[in-house]
Amino acid sequence: MTSTVVGAPPAVLAENVVKEYGSGEAAVRALHGVSVGFARGAFTAIMGPSGSGKSTLMHCLAGLDTVNQGAIRIGDVEITRLSDKQLTLLRRDRVGFIFQAFNLLPTLTAEQNILLPLELSGRTPDRRWFDQVVDTIGLRPRLTHRPSELSGGQQQRVACARALVSRPEVIFADEPTGNLDSRSGAEVLSFLRSSVREMGQTIVMVTHDPVAASYADRVVFLRDGRITSELHRPTPDSVLDALKRLES
Amino acid sequence: MLKTTLAGLRAHLLRLMLTALAITLGVGFVAGTFVLTDTMKAGFDRQFTASAEKVSVAVLAKDDKIPESTLRAVRAVSGVQDAQGQLRGDAPLLGKDGRAYGETPTLGMSMATGALSRYTIEKGRAPAGPGEAVLEKTIAGHTGYRVGDAIRVLDKKGTAHAFTVTGLVDVGVDQEIGFRGAVGFTRPVAAQMTGEHGYMEIDVKGAPGVSDDRLRAAVAAAAGPSFTTVTSHGLAKKLAASSGLDVDSIAMFFLAFAVVALFVAALVIYNTFNILIAQRTREMALLRCVGATRGQVFRSVLIESAVVGLLASALGAIVGIGLGYGAALIFNSGSGMPGGSLTVSPTPFLVGIPVGLAVTVLSALMPARAATRVPPVAALRAQTEGRVKGRAGVLRVIAGALLGAAGIGVAVLALTSKPGQTPFLMVMVAGALLFLGVIALSPLIVRALSGIVGWPPARIFGVPGRLALANSRRNPKRAAVTTVALTVGVTLMTMFSVALTSVRSTADSSLRDQFPVDYQLSTQTGDDDRPIAGDAVARLRAKPEFSAVIEIRTASATVGGHKEDVGSMTQRFLGRDLKPKVTAGSLTDLRPGAVVLHQRRAGGLGARVGGTVSVRTRQGTANLRVAAIVSGESILPDVLLDETDFTRSFGPKDPEQVYLIAKPGISTLSSRAAVDDALKAYPAVRVQSAADIKDQLSKALDQVFLLVAGLLALAIVISLIGIANTLTLSVVERTRESALLRALGLTRRGLRRMLSLEALIISLIGALIGVVLGTALGWVAISAALDSAVLGLPIGRIVLFVVLAAVAGVAAAIMPGRRAARTSIVESLAAE
Repeated sequence: MTSTVVGAPPAVLAENVVKEYGSGEAAVRALHGVSVGFARGAFTAIMGPSGSGKSTLMHCLAGLDTVNQGAIRIGDVEITRLSDKQLTLLRRDRVGFIFQAFNLLPTLTAEQNILLPLELSGRTPDRRWFDQVVDTIGLRPRLTHRPSELSGGQQQRVACARALVSRPEVIFADEPTGNLDSRSGAEVLSFLRSSVREMGQTIVMVTHDPVAASYADRVVFLRDGRITSELHRPTPDSVLDALKRLES
Repeated sequence: MLKTTLAGLRAHLLRLMLTALAITLGVGFVAGTFVLTDTMKAGFDRQFTASAEKVSVAVLAKDDKIPESTLRAVRAVSGVQDAQGQLRGDAPLLGKDGRAYGETPTLGMSMATGALSRYTIEKGRAPAGPGEAVLEKTIAGHTGYRVGDAIRVLDKKGTAHAFTVTGLVDVGVDQEIGFRGAVGFTRPVAAQMTGEHGYMEIDVKGAPGVSDDRLRAAVAAAAGPSFTTVTSHGLAKKLAASSGLDVDSIAMFFLAFAVVALFVAALVIYNTFNILIAQRTREMALLRCVGATRGQVFRSVLIESAVVGLLASALGAIVGIGLGYGAALIFNSGSGMPGGSLTVSPTPFLVGIPVGLAVTVLSALMPARAATRVPPVAALRAQTEGRVKGRAGVLRVIAGALLGAAGIGVAVLALTSKPGQTPFLMVMVAGALLFLGVIALSPLIVRALSGIVGWPPARIFGVPGRLALANSRRNPKRAAVTTVALTVGVTLMTMFSVALTSVRSTADSSLRDQFPVDYQLSTQTGDDDRPIAGDAVARLRAKPEFSAVIEIRTASATVGGHKEDVGSMTQRFLGRDLKPKVTAGSLTDLRPGAVVLHQRRAGGLGARVGGTVSVRTRQGTANLRVAAIVSGESILPDVLLDETDFTRSFGPKDPEQVYLIAKPGISTLSSRAAVDDALKAYPAVRVQSAADIKDQLSKALDQVFLLVAGLLALAIVISLIGIANTLTLSVVERTRESALLRALGLTRRGLRRMLSLEALIISLIGALIGVVLGTALGWVAISAALDSAVLGLPIGRIVLFVVLAAVAGVAAAIMPGRRAARTSIVESLAAE
């Protein structure tokens, strides 16, 4: 059911990306020349054991962190050449984020949180799109509430709505269900999947949970800073098997 | 536990830096005051000793001056090498405008010669004979005379004599000379000019080998018991005692402001520890989990505050030495006081360090108690970040309302009682109560005001503005304490400013409405035996430029059993040109046998209109009917007799004061020319125009304001440190939030702007509360202190305070803003 058009350029592309922390003797290489593309309109999961570099990869892909070597493109922009200011503007206009925890500003209501990226870039929200997103996540009665008045699952759904409402080229999700119980987690994941299937959104998700990964169209496995394998149309079992192979 | 505390302290040292700075400055103020006064005291002592060391023994006049015969007797005492008498008397110096200089006549004095010459000739040389004089250097500066200039000085009879200035003399600290200025002559010329023949003092130089004590005994025997004979040591003490320098009151005055600074510092400390403990909830809980008791947690916080307080106070004492010395240098250059070298007694340390320590620990008490309430289970929960804790407690509202009501009540009571000192003190109490009320209610006030003050930035600056507004309201208690610290300084500054402006406008309005005189002629103070000559008044009356020449005569009498000055005025102008505010009765009833009283006298005499007051003069006692009671600022005698009654009682006499009112349409230039022409032959008469009087008052008030503003500046600086501190700590607390915003696309600049706007909102609120409170208190204080006060509002200055507070607030956000913008997004998001 993926709407990937064969031959179309990927939404996000990493070429030979090297990332090191520290310098000299103490340098730790987190990414060893990673090359990977993420298709437009696809839901991709990045998996790997702790310390495999999956979060680092995501931070670099999203322009939150710099790389030492290689190039990363989001759409037609090579983000590895941009200044901090240009990166900020790119994030604001073309990238959406969902984090594991602390996704919302405590001082703003749910609605204000959802609209924040649009307001930061000075765009007027498309009201119909906003309504559609809000109704899909089922949070309309909660729009005037502050994060402290919402449950963890509700907070995360607000974060999803925030990421979607600006129609970014790609949404990066970092362990979006890591802090949620399994029911709330399933809700969030279904929502992410339907946003890809029905709205054509591109999502890249980092997770260590095989169940979460099974919601994706494709799973990319990372180990010690290298891409080792990938899996299409995963199920929880096939992901688990792949992981087992990865660790052995 | 102590180890844990100290380890924690090391880890949080950076966060405590700004707090420590607040304490350091507060203690620095206290210590600096002591260093300043110690240095001043030592400087004076040294100078008096140096001055007195030139003489071996001195004979001082007590009630009577010392006659020439005594000087001769002292000279004849064996062991006396030299003895010289010191003459002092009035010798009014004429300024370059040809009129006697200053409010009081200049002092004429004889200059000692040879080894006994006590004063330093700074430029030129001592006078050597007739026609020569030296000028005391301060008065030379004020009048503009230099060495070689020709000056004129009036003698006892008012005749002007010409002298050449041969030198400038530095007399050191001498209250009389400092106040009046002095011209020095040779002894015979001094005697001739002042008409004085007795000496104030005889200075004796002993022959080599004669001890001061032995000489003193011999000289005392020769001088007799009617004079005091002292050694040079005793003379130094006498000089110090009579110098009129009250170093202790200077210290008290400064310390009052130091207390304000410390109070502000206490607020900053309280806030810091509260924030730190909120941030360390998990740490505290972990300590409890692993077995720390509540008491241990409590002590650990207190120990932390004690260490910070001790270090900061010690540093403050050292800073104070610098501050005090700097202030001493300013004092010296400003007033010709002796340039003392730095003198540090143990006092700054003995007082400053314990005070700083106590303030710090006491301010940390409440936060420490809050720390004990953290349950162990909090360690397991996700860190709640400085969560908004409910609404202002009911207790707080009640306390605030009660304090506010009490403050207003006392203020109303003060306003309804008769103006004077007691109601003024009541206003101060009311101010303190109101302020405490505002502190109690400040979370509510800040919340309400932030909506108003923050509205424009939220509109203008988009998302950063709105976030700033939301942030300023997220923790009302914290914002309130930060704000109140600034409010303290702004309130006091505004209060002084409003009060001083009101004093000025009260004086202005009384000059304009009630006493529209253009010139005030008077004799120099302390020169009452030389009133304004009748001829001079006659010349003034002959001038067509004036519509009114009003003579005021005064004399001493016994009124209702008390010695009082009574007076009269050229009566036809009363109520026509001079219109004092009448509270009861009528001015036209002032006829022979009647009296007009000022309210401040009527009260003491228990007199009311229609009643009588007994006035005893040399001509006997008369019971005068009270025609009217006047109030407010007045330039008339408080006990105003009918003119004919006055002349009958005291005989015809020249007036002590004359008021001139120019005819309408006469320019200032021509009226001034007329005054100068009429008084050309009377240089001793002082002429002040209404503009002069206004100017003098303005200058004096401005000086008071500058002094007060300078002393309050430190309290305001400390409160700004408090703003920077709160923001810095908030930035630490909101690291992840900032990172999220940056990830979502807020630029670094946007983040910095957000913090600047938050600081702007906080400081504007603080300034606004301060301005409103200060204006109200200033007005109430002046209404309570002054009769028929006219309230003034220094709008320019108040706007300036608000603008300065806003700018300073934004400046305080610079460092925290940079810090927030610099932090890496990835690391911050990962951080706990």
